[in-house]
Amino acid sequence: MDVKRHVTVQRVDPQAWPNGTPVEKAEDPDLGTKIIPADRYFSPEFMALEWQHIWSKVWLLGGRADDMPEPGDYICTDIGKESVLIVRQPDLSLRAFHNVCMHRGNRLRPEGFGNVEKFRCLYHHWAYALDGQIDHIPDLDTFPQGAPPAGRIPGLPVGDWGGFVWFSLNPDVEPLETYLGSIPQNLDPYHFDQMVWTRDITVEWECNWKASVDAFNESYHVQGTHPQLKWYLDDVNIQIDCYERHSRYLIPFAAISPRVELPSAIPPAIDEIMRKAGMDPAEYEGRVSDIRVDVQKFMRANGHRFGKDYSDLNDDQLTDDYHYMIFPNLSLNAHADDLMLFRQRPHATDPNKMYYDIWMFGLLSEDEKNSPDKPYRRPRHQHYKHGDKTIGTVLDQDAFNLPTVQKGMQSAGFPGLWLGQQELRLRHFHKVIEDYVYGPAGETK
Amino acid sequence: MDLGLQGKKAIIVGAARGIGMATAEVLAREGCDLAITARSEDGVKDAVAALKRYGTKVVGKACNVKKADDYKEWLAWAIEALDGVDILVPITSAGGGLGSEKYWQNAFDVDVMGPVRAVEAVIPTMTEQQSGSIVLIATTSAGEAMGGPQAYNAMKASLVTWGKQLALAHGKDGIRVNVVSPGPIEFEGGNWEMIKGTMEKFYTSQLRQQPSGRLGRPEEVARAIAFLASEAASWCNGSHLVVDGGFTNRTHF
Repeated sequence: MDVKRHVTVQRVDPQAWPNGTPVEKAEDPDLGTKIIPADRYFSPEFMALEWQHIWSKVWLLGGRADDMPEPGDYICTDIGKESVLIVRQPDLSLRAFHNVCMHRGNRLRPEGFGNVEKFRCLYHHWAYALDGQIDHIPDLDTFPQGAPPAGRIPGLPVGDWGGFVWFSLNPDVEPLETYLGSIPQNLDPYHFDQMVWTRDITVEWECNWKASVDAFNESYHVQGTHPQLKWYLDDVNIQIDCYERHSRYLIPFAAISPRVELPSAIPPAIDEIMRKAGMDPAEYEGRVSDIRVDVQKFMRANGHRFGKDYSDLNDDQLTDDYHYMIFPNLSLNAHADDLMLFRQRPHATDPNKMYYDIWMFGLLSEDEKNSPDKPYRRPRHQHYKHGDKTIGTVLDQDAFNLPTVQKGMQSAGFPGLWLGQQELRLRHFHKVIEDYVYGPAGETK
Repeated sequence: MDLGLQGKKAIIVGAARGIGMATAEVLAREGCDLAITARSEDGVKDAVAALKRYGTKVVGKACNVKKADDYKEWLAWAIEALDGVDILVPITSAGGGLGSEKYWQNAFDVDVMGPVRAVEAVIPTMTEQQSGSIVLIATTSAGEAMGGPQAYNAMKASLVTWGKQLALAHGKDGIRVNVVSPGPIEFEGGNWEMIKGTMEKFYTSQLRQQPSGRLGRPEEVARAIAFLASEAASWCNGSHLVVDGGFTNRTHF
């Protein structure tokens, strides 16, 4: 690799936090070196296969439980050509059903969240109870065939984990717990349910949803796309772990990339990490290469001063990025104080477009929780088109390449993705896609 | 032009990287024996090994300039190891920073007291031998705004004043004291490389201020330091030399 220095990253002892996030390196799967065909990023045929075998089969993230604490609270979320209502019931359980009026097919609610007593269609005022049962049909006596026989909107499986609510379009889907596999064991120590919304943005991106998942599944692009992050994280010494259908990598933060010489001054972004942790960089006497471990020690010793409980997290988790991909479309950057989650959704009809949801959450400090002048307020959902507005330097840099990637993919001169070892998670992602689309013993293209 | 550096004994504080390392290299190439220090043990070890290839005597030991007693001990050790001292270049710096009072203390301890303690350590030997050359390193940020109103800029400015007054006080003993103020200097592992990588717009704006369209290189400052340190600069005393490729706006009357 093109490095200037050999760096040994100190990592936590796998035995030291027996009930915490597992840190053992998983054995790398042997997935070969074949080309990943480009046409799956733009062909309508493959898009249809994905709908049939993936989107309508798996568990999908719908929203946040804290957006719907009370009976009648609901979340309306779209996936491809479908739209789903997830609703809090009078007994506080959850139900999900298609967002559609059984009369003429109108959608009952626009995307978003809110509270209703009943779902009433705006067209002819058919009304549905919170569980999706038909509640009232105006002039029912003018329908000689009576009400639709099921008496309700078809229901869907619903579940919750980690402060999030999940649904599936597949009535026969396995239990959510089975689908998520080791993910809860990995991520429960972060207590995402105790975090609150800090950003809620959807951007329409001019690329296939998989191009976006790919972009966050490898650190190889840091040296090309985010040169400034070489003074923020170690993009070379990362641990990649592929699980059954999900995967992760562990990236040391508050570190200097081996691709550059070690500076003697503290880089601005690491200075900020130290300040956020409550340290004064001016007081720091160690070397820049020692900062990561010293920030960990400081947060461990002082977290309680800021009302933050890190007791379930290991030391590395206090600084590093534990980055998980939950199949098929979630990228989670888990940090001790915050979660940066990306939900990548396909466009309803165009394989060259997608919706990129930026969901960010944070732990409130004791001061923030008890501030009467500035009470916490959930940020409003914002919706942009590609390039309309900045979404932050790093994400802007990621977004910049994607439309040209999508165009280039369709070139007759490009057979497909030529992946290296640093991109093992992409290879794994595509293997899982192939298993779903073609079956485990199916066509291997 | 013969610089007359052959066989001279030079102490360089902060010689593991950048301008300090480049200065050590120029002096070694010109035939000086060297005693060097820096904070990092590995850094000193690597620098000593690299400098030895010019065939002069090179000794080094790691030292934290902030720790006054250790530092004074190191200075005494350096003079003894070289069996005298003709040249002193105390270049080590705590660097910049805004937003904490502690930056003032850091700049005072390292950028001011680093040179002060080194000068006090060499003056008796230089006085006794009635010759010596000291080059202090300030910065163009002492004279023109850079990176906000920070301790580094103000503390470095004090070296310009103090350097001139040292020259007035010790000239009678054959000791010359001069100050070099470098402009932005770029090298691997240096601040300006990091600024280029992390604050591209700011970096580009600084490039535009450089008449030649680039930042300086460590050896371009090192050669100026070596000249002032050498016999060739025998009539330079109490001078302040700005080495910045034309970066600063003001006229240096």
